[in-house]
Amino acid sequence: MAEATQDSVADDNRLAAELSRYATSQRAAPPRLWRARLGRQVLTGTAAFYLLLVLVAPLAAIVYELSSMGIGSALASLLQPEALSALRMSLVLTALSVTINTVVGTSLAIAIVRHQFPMRRVVNALADLPLAVSPVMVGLAFLLLFGRDGWFGAALEQLDLKVVFAFGGLLLGTLFVALPYTVREVAYVLEELGTSEEEAAATLGASPAQIFWRVTLPNIRFALGYGVLMTLARSMGEFGAVLVLGGSISGQTQTATTFIHDAIEERATGSAYGMAVLLALFSIGLLLALEWAKRRRKL
Amino acid sequence: MNVPSHRRRASLITACTATLLWLGLSACNSGSKPAASSNADTAAKPNAGPINLTLGGYTTPREAYGQLLPAFRDQWAKPRSKELTFRESYLGSGAQARAIVGGFEADVAALSLEPDIDVVKKAGLITHDWKSAPYGGVVTRSIVVIGVREGNPKNIRDWEDLARPGLSVLTPNVRTSGGARWNIAAIWGAAVRGKANAKTSDAEGAIKLLGAILHNVQNMDAGARESLLQFERGVGDAIITYENEILVGKQKGQKYEYVVPRSTILIENPIAVVDRNVDKHGTRETAEALLQFLVTPEAQQVYVQHGLRPVLESTEKAAADKFPAPADLFTIRDLGDWAGTQKSIFDTGAGYDRALGLANGGS
Amino acid sequence: MKPAAYALAPQRGELLLRHSSVLYVLAMVALPLAALLWFGVSDGLESLSQLLRSQVARRALWLTFWTSTLVAVLNVVFGSITAWVLVRYRIPGRAVVSALLDLPLAIPTLVAGVMLGILYGPTSFLGRHFAGLGVPIIFAQPGIILALLFVTVPFVVRAVEPVLSEIDVGEEEAAKILGATPLQTFRTVFLPALAPAALSAGIRSLGRALGEFGSVVVVAGNIPMKTLTAPVFILGEIEGGAPRMASAMSVLLLAIALLLHTTAGFVERRIGARHG
Repeated sequence: MAEATQDSVADDNRLAAELSRYATSQRAAPPRLWRARLGRQVLTGTAAFYLLLVLVAPLAAIVYELSSMGIGSALASLLQPEALSALRMSLVLTALSVTINTVVGTSLAIAIVRHQFPMRRVVNALADLPLAVSPVMVGLAFLLLFGRDGWFGAALEQLDLKVVFAFGGLLLGTLFVALPYTVREVAYVLEELGTSEEEAAATLGASPAQIFWRVTLPNIRFALGYGVLMTLARSMGEFGAVLVLGGSISGQTQTATTFIHDAIEERATGSAYGMAVLLALFSIGLLLALEWAKRRRKL
Repeated sequence: MNVPSHRRRASLITACTATLLWLGLSACNSGSKPAASSNADTAAKPNAGPINLTLGGYTTPREAYGQLLPAFRDQWAKPRSKELTFRESYLGSGAQARAIVGGFEADVAALSLEPDIDVVKKAGLITHDWKSAPYGGVVTRSIVVIGVREGNPKNIRDWEDLARPGLSVLTPNVRTSGGARWNIAAIWGAAVRGKANAKTSDAEGAIKLLGAILHNVQNMDAGARESLLQFERGVGDAIITYENEILVGKQKGQKYEYVVPRSTILIENPIAVVDRNVDKHGTRETAEALLQFLVTPEAQQVYVQHGLRPVLESTEKAAADKFPAPADLFTIRDLGDWAGTQKSIFDTGAGYDRALGLANGGS
Repeated sequence: MKPAAYALAPQRGELLLRHSSVLYVLAMVALPLAALLWFGVSDGLESLSQLLRSQVARRALWLTFWTSTLVAVLNVVFGSITAWVLVRYRIPGRAVVSALLDLPLAIPTLVAGVMLGILYGPTSFLGRHFAGLGVPIIFAQPGIILALLFVTVPFVVRAVEPVLSEIDVGEEEAAKILGATPLQTFRTVFLPALAPAALSAGIRSLGRALGEFGSVVVVAGNIPMKTLTAPVFILGEIEGGAPRMASAMSVLLLAIALLLHTTAGFVERRIGARHG
């Protein structure tokens, strides 16, 4: 927020002005000013070092890798059928995950924030729970449910449905890990907004559907957009669960992420880095969209 | 133009959802949805449409199959005007066997050792006597060797050198990796045959030698390939692994060498058609043709190019100079076959466990 | 969260939507976790005690825990400093830095691990330099810490930023006029608001780091007793055909994660309310 940010130059001036007013103050002006400046530089330097080491350096490494590989060879490795199939699998999974989680997430958010029902607290906690679960654990959990020896293994056999080592397993894992994002974003905004507008619409005779489409939805659209982008990012990036549930069968259950993992195993570092760079670029694009949505969301 | 905005939005969202669901379902279907049929009568199935053949392999022959499968397609599918696509998965042999049992619908299982195929058979997925195939169901061979750094700076010559204090040795995890079990069997066999400077030429001597070597093992990966990749990243002074793994690595430019111990075991890698899956997918004809193809001179030569020793005599003779002959080459049958070694080495509390206990200071 | 009351009770359509989404959550989240819990503890404490008797498992748990705690502490300190610098100073390129901070949320963790591998791998400039100094980064514990730091960077910074922004300028000026030193100003004006936000975000980042898999599995080398973390241990048990061990470890991690989650909420609400 603009008004809370201090202009460092104005800060210095005000400080100097105050201190000259209180000439009887024990501390002499120059050292204090000098110390304030030093403090600021130390803090900025520390933050810069932290970010450079942790964040910027790895990013620079992959940019450097791309430039040394050359865009041509990177593209060539990505245009192989195996890579394309893995990419397509990730895109399909993500598209489904975004669609389903948007619908479910919005309904859940409305239910949790606006309705009163017996399991409300439990549902609220459950919606957040996937954030606390490690991806491999997600894979294991679904394996225990739908694997051949799992709780529903026999039933699936009878119905000739394939979940583990098949698309279904990948989808379930992705849906699980991406659930919380839309729910949280929409729930937060719904709470902030309150029900006054919806109530007004209700008293004017609007039906619940009308209230939703014409009042609620426009109000939450940037939060929803932000949630969609986060869901997108999380779904594209899922690795642990799809590795365990899918087995990374080339052409069948291989996603972009498990493709990278496999490529490293085959010492095909060109393919591995090519796909990694592609995913990184995609994430950066997502990032820019996120920043835009964030700014609009705050309004 | 006069459609209210919320209705337009609703129909747009419905359209998007429908498209995505359709996309999703088509992805489901493109992913080997089998032509499910309750009767196993494969002749009744129409042969239109592409055939998907799924291979479940252990970690090391992935490059070999990368070349062999397209060659098979050219040789068998093209002349018959059939469209053939492959799905492959490579895991540690034990892990792969378990995956197949757990639901991975491989048509062909190309694993590292006989017991892992038997795991699949025991689960009812293989119903024929796969060992009655030519060469006893074996498709490739190799030997257990010791990989060392370029120039062999630690001067490692044989098994007992691996027990030297301060040396760091790599070998994979016996529960997931077939290669790991071959490695242990090789050391054990060399010891009990009196060829490895073990204190005594019996089980106790083998346990002591194994314990001393395991003491130097700092890392146990899930598969032989992962283990070798670690070695390539600078971990360890020596690695116990398949001869073919080292050879493939060297082909890819790696600068390590390998030492053939005085006495080592002949690795025999089996392959089998998984009956339940081929009948379900209607791929029996293709799978059996593949197995026949893999023991032809052309295919065996491809295996040789990837460091594997052939089973076909003619190819073996031709490639004799590529593969060094150990002074004492024994087989698993010299150790009482896999059933025998299960009792003496791999059972809980048997030789391997006791050696591990020795390695970790009797804990 | 107390629900706001509707003027009208929910209609049939809304009820249907609510019921189906509740059913979805129960099926998608509660059911798998129930299976996990059941498998881990169905044989009493047998699996858990067998797990804890395994030296490899104990070491994996300890490694996961201390690296995540270290990372949480580093995040609280440096994350707060970064938030301070971003909010209060007009440094050039602030918008870029701010955008960059969201990168770990957008990027696949596996790719993060690959990036670290490129940066510190044995064939890289930095990797060889550090190896020469005897301080290996990759396939060693520093690599794990760097990977965990990468994925948790946004947590504390993003939690502290809004708090700092909302601090009343008037309070700060009052403190200055009354002659407070910068340190005193910080302690009385900023810290009470900062602390709960930073602490609870730090705890959340701890929970996040505990479960981290994608970046660690690429960067750590997964050497048992040295660089094998709990999540990678779980993968090993799954592949090794020991789902009970995997479930037992999962139950432990889940319990710790839930404990952290509630603690973070507690810190936010109670300590925040007292000072805020």
